[in-house]
Amino acid sequence: MNRLFLLALLGATLCAAATAQRSDFALKSDFEDRYRQISSHLDSAETTQEIESLKGEIVKLETDYAPHQQFLDRALYPLTFTESIAKLRSLQVLTYDRVYLIRTQGVKLSELEARLNSLTTRLDSLTAQRDQLFGELQESRKSLTALREAVKRLSANLAAKDRLIFAIADTIFLPYGKDLHQVADLQKEAIGQRLEKTNVLTRVYEIAADNVKFLDVTQLQGKDYGNLIEQYQAFTARWAGLKEKITDVAATSAMVPTGSTGKGSAKTPVARGGVKEIRTASATATVEAAHVDSVLAEWHARLNTGFWGGLQKEFTTAGITVAAFNDGPSFSSSVRQYVAALAASKQDPQPFVETLWKQKIDKEWREGLSKDAMLGRTEYAALDKLVSELSRETIDMTFMAYIAGILVIAALIWLMVFRKRKRPEQPPPATAV
Amino acid sequence: MIRLVKICLVPAALLLMASCSSLKLDLVDFGWPVESVVTVTSANKIEDVRYSVTAWVAGLAQEEFQDSTALHGAKLRLLRSSEGYYFLTGPKFKHVYVFSPGPSSLLLNRAIPVSEVGLRNPALNQRTPYVELLDGDNFHTLLTSDDIVEVKK
Repeated sequence: MNRLFLLALLGATLCAAATAQRSDFALKSDFEDRYRQISSHLDSAETTQEIESLKGEIVKLETDYAPHQQFLDRALYPLTFTESIAKLRSLQVLTYDRVYLIRTQGVKLSELEARLNSLTTRLDSLTAQRDQLFGELQESRKSLTALREAVKRLSANLAAKDRLIFAIADTIFLPYGKDLHQVADLQKEAIGQRLEKTNVLTRVYEIAADNVKFLDVTQLQGKDYGNLIEQYQAFTARWAGLKEKITDVAATSAMVPTGSTGKGSAKTPVARGGVKEIRTASATATVEAAHVDSVLAEWHARLNTGFWGGLQKEFTTAGITVAAFNDGPSFSSSVRQYVAALAASKQDPQPFVETLWKQKIDKEWREGLSKDAMLGRTEYAALDKLVSELSRETIDMTFMAYIAGILVIAALIWLMVFRKRKRPEQPPPATAV
Repeated sequence: MIRLVKICLVPAALLLMASCSSLKLDLVDFGWPVESVVTVTSANKIEDVRYSVTAWVAGLAQEEFQDSTALHGAKLRLLRSSEGYYFLTGPKFKHVYVFSPGPSSLLLNRAIPVSEVGLRNPALNQRTPYVELLDGDNFHTLLTSDDIVEVKK
């Protein structure tokens, strides 16, 4: 027993001596060799099980060299120790994803990446075009035709960008199926990395902000709003779906420590740093998502203000005073009040019915008003009927007056003719013989 | 009047020149975190890629082995201390050479004798303010730019 203890003590002393006298260069080289070995295994791995097992190797590498982190941070070049481990982890996640996609979905990662690259390039070129179009919009204020053309092109540009950004998001998420809850944590990490690489959240924010700017700098007409409302609603709905997925991915990243093997991770300072890093990335995603929400709220507010303000201006321009409105219910109430007042008074409803309602509101604003988010199709139809009836009452009264006039004239004629016929024949005057 | 201007200008110029020449940046740390293992080429050159240092070592081979071609293919250990001296040694060396940088040259500061039979597999570690020399498990020496500070065998 004593001998065993002595041997153990000797071993420990030798180990300590060996550690104490280890060459820094050898330490660095050993780390680099093990790093290269794992990296090379990852490159040649063909099954997800193989890659899963290499995760443990990465954790072991990190744990073994964590006591030398300070030295390795300086000695390794150009990456530090922490960056090297993070790079290896990222490689492991991407490799897992690559193998998984090929094996389960038949999708090649290279094809996915190529599609993402093509979409982001198209989006970037549209962004460049957008800047030019905003410039043209400023210049073309003098001519109404040129202004309308610039508005049309800018609006089309923004709509194309909306479609592209969500096409990018779809490209990232679609290979994993509809139910993200069934996707493994490693895939979620891969999705998270791809979202970060393509800058999806920032791009969504920029596009929403572009739309706000567009509403700010453009004088819109009633007929423009139909498309704009549709565009906003589609964007909001798509964003809601995307946000849910992003939150899911971010929550997974926050829950899974980078150094975890699933069997209890080594709590080295580096491992703790890794968790912190991922938590920070997840927090960043949450903050960015909140920014998108706030710019969408702004977009909604501008759209509403522009729409209802523009509609109110139509009333003012036509010289018709109605109670102020700023949403569907208040607009409906104002119109109903005005129609009731008009019907009760002896005023001529024609300026309101013909000039304002039929020529302006029904022609230019109906599409926008019919949207559920504004007034709704049913309520618009009800208001239209109400206004039409006001017009019909007027027509009936005139018609009745005409009929009455005609009847009076007919009666007079008849009386004259009748009296003429009924006049008794005068006996011939007596002649003196 | 001109004389007065000259009298004023000359001390001003001297003061300016003096202030320029006395400019000195302190607390500079030249130390490399880890030594470079450099292979001597057939042209007797060594090159460190990370720090972009190249040197011709025929003179060193002549000095240590009395043969200017003795170092061909040898792996030398090069480390810059925090003070800015270059420490250079290698297998079979009996000395650690300490150089200070000069204009396009390394000037020998001191050749510190470290082994009577020659080192087998030496390594240099940065242990500010010293440089540590290891050779196998049982050879451990701390060096300054001038001498050996501590030996453990």
